[in-house]
Amino acid sequence: MLNERDEGRAGAKRREATDLFATVLEVVKRYHGAARITRVSYGAGMPVDRLRNLVDRLVRLGLLRVEEIDGRPAYDITPRGQEFLTTYWKMRGFIESLEANPDDRVSRRRS
Amino acid sequence: MAETRIPRGSQVRLGVVDGDLRADQHVRIQGDPKVTVKGDVRFDGSAVVTGGLECRRFRADDGTVEIAGDLIVEEDLEGRDCTLEVAGALKARRVDVDRSLSVKGPAEAEKFEVGGVLEGSQTLTARSVSVGGKFRLAGQLTADSVEAGGSAELGDVAIESLSVGGAIRMGGGQVRGSIEVGGRFLTERPLQFGSLDVGGLAEFREDGRGGSVDIGGILSANKDLAFDDLEIGGLGRIQGNGTGRNVEIGGKFDVQGSLTLTGRLEVGGAVVIGEALQAESLEIGGKLEARRAVIASAAEIGGQVNTREGLKADRIRLERKSRAYGPLVGGTVDLNRGSRVEDVYGERISLEEKVEARRVFGANVRMREGAHAEEVTYTGTLELAAGATVSRPPQKVASLPAFPL
Repeated sequence: MLNERDEGRAGAKRREATDLFATVLEVVKRYHGAARITRVSYGAGMPVDRLRNLVDRLVRLGLLRVEEIDGRPAYDITPRGQEFLTTYWKMRGFIESLEANPDDRVSRRRS
Repeated sequence: MAETRIPRGSQVRLGVVDGDLRADQHVRIQGDPKVTVKGDVRFDGSAVVTGGLECRRFRADDGTVEIAGDLIVEEDLEGRDCTLEVAGALKARRVDVDRSLSVKGPAEAEKFEVGGVLEGSQTLTARSVSVGGKFRLAGQLTADSVEAGGSAELGDVAIESLSVGGAIRMGGGQVRGSIEVGGRFLTERPLQFGSLDVGGLAEFREDGRGGSVDIGGILSANKDLAFDDLEIGGLGRIQGNGTGRNVEIGGKFDVQGSLTLTGRLEVGGAVVIGEALQAESLEIGGKLEARRAVIASAAEIGGQVNTREGLKADRIRLERKSRAYGPLVGGTVDLNRGSRVEDVYGERISLEEKVEARRVFGANVRMREGAHAEEVTYTGTLELAAGATVSRPPQKVASLPAFPL
């Protein structure tokens, strides 16, 4: 079921903004409050300048928080960010299950 | 402590260095046959060591450092904006590399923290492994906690907990605690696990055995799967047998063998079981198909149940307008308004308004207005409301025929 093309992201064909959000949030989450921008750039495979814009946006959206550690910004995922990730992966799962078997869609309506 | 400096672009041959060693960028150090540094080693840029290297502490900044042999670090190994390639074994107390680390031999440390990519060709042993991007390991992974933000490709594992943001493909082995995967999970060999939580797709190519399983998208098991509680939001398929406690299916679930549960089966969507279903209780809002279903206590059907050999339960209740194909065998059988069934066997059978049944065999049978049966055979009482009809005259007998199942 897994193949090389799909390896990086569930069902990814082209990385949408939400896919990029999820990629960055997943990397930040691994650092437990101490994610530096360079570390995140290596993890997410994204240049620092582009990542900085994305991270600023995630902070404005309340999905990441930033605080200074040793005079440098360190990022952490917020509860809202975690909620985004949970919803994102669940939705990707639903989409993939529907795409995998379009004829097997199940109605939950009682007959 | 004395410091030996190697200037930029130079090539030196070293054996034992009594103090610290500091190398500028683009240096080439030849080991004799290895370099033993009593103090710390620091690389200020790219470097090649054509042999093994042993030191107290190791630091590399801004570049790629290649070690052609083993790298043994007594204390910590640190790489800032650095790629480290070790052709032999790696041993250190803590390993912290920004960009990428590749080790061809066995790797061992208390902690591995890598920002980008961690690759190992043999085994890796650690207390914790944290990788921001990709983690690839060909040999056995032994660790307490393993985290990767992007993806992981692992061989066999013996670990406590595993968390991967994107996708993981692994051999098999044991994860004693939790496995959490955002996107995709695939295991190629038998796996034991504490719990499994996958947002997207999960695939077991061999037997799987574990605790709770929660799959947001698709579950696919090519062999048997044993679990405590199984919850699938999308699609599930087990090609062997499924055994566990409780199952809750929102989408579609297909078991080619038998499904044996000590608890509840709750189906909002559709469940198809090739062989037998056994459970403590059953609740169907959608559709259930099985060769036979034996339920210890209550079976509530709001949708449709299809069995070849029958559905048996202590209490069977069909909600309004639900359908049952195949015999229903119960202690108590309540068929609510508008439901349609085939043969029904039970101690107490109640057909509410507009229920249609084929043959009814019961000790005590009650039929409400508009209910219809082709045949009714009973041993105790038969209550027929006005407007209830039976195609053939009801038969009171001394004993009922043997119930199926």
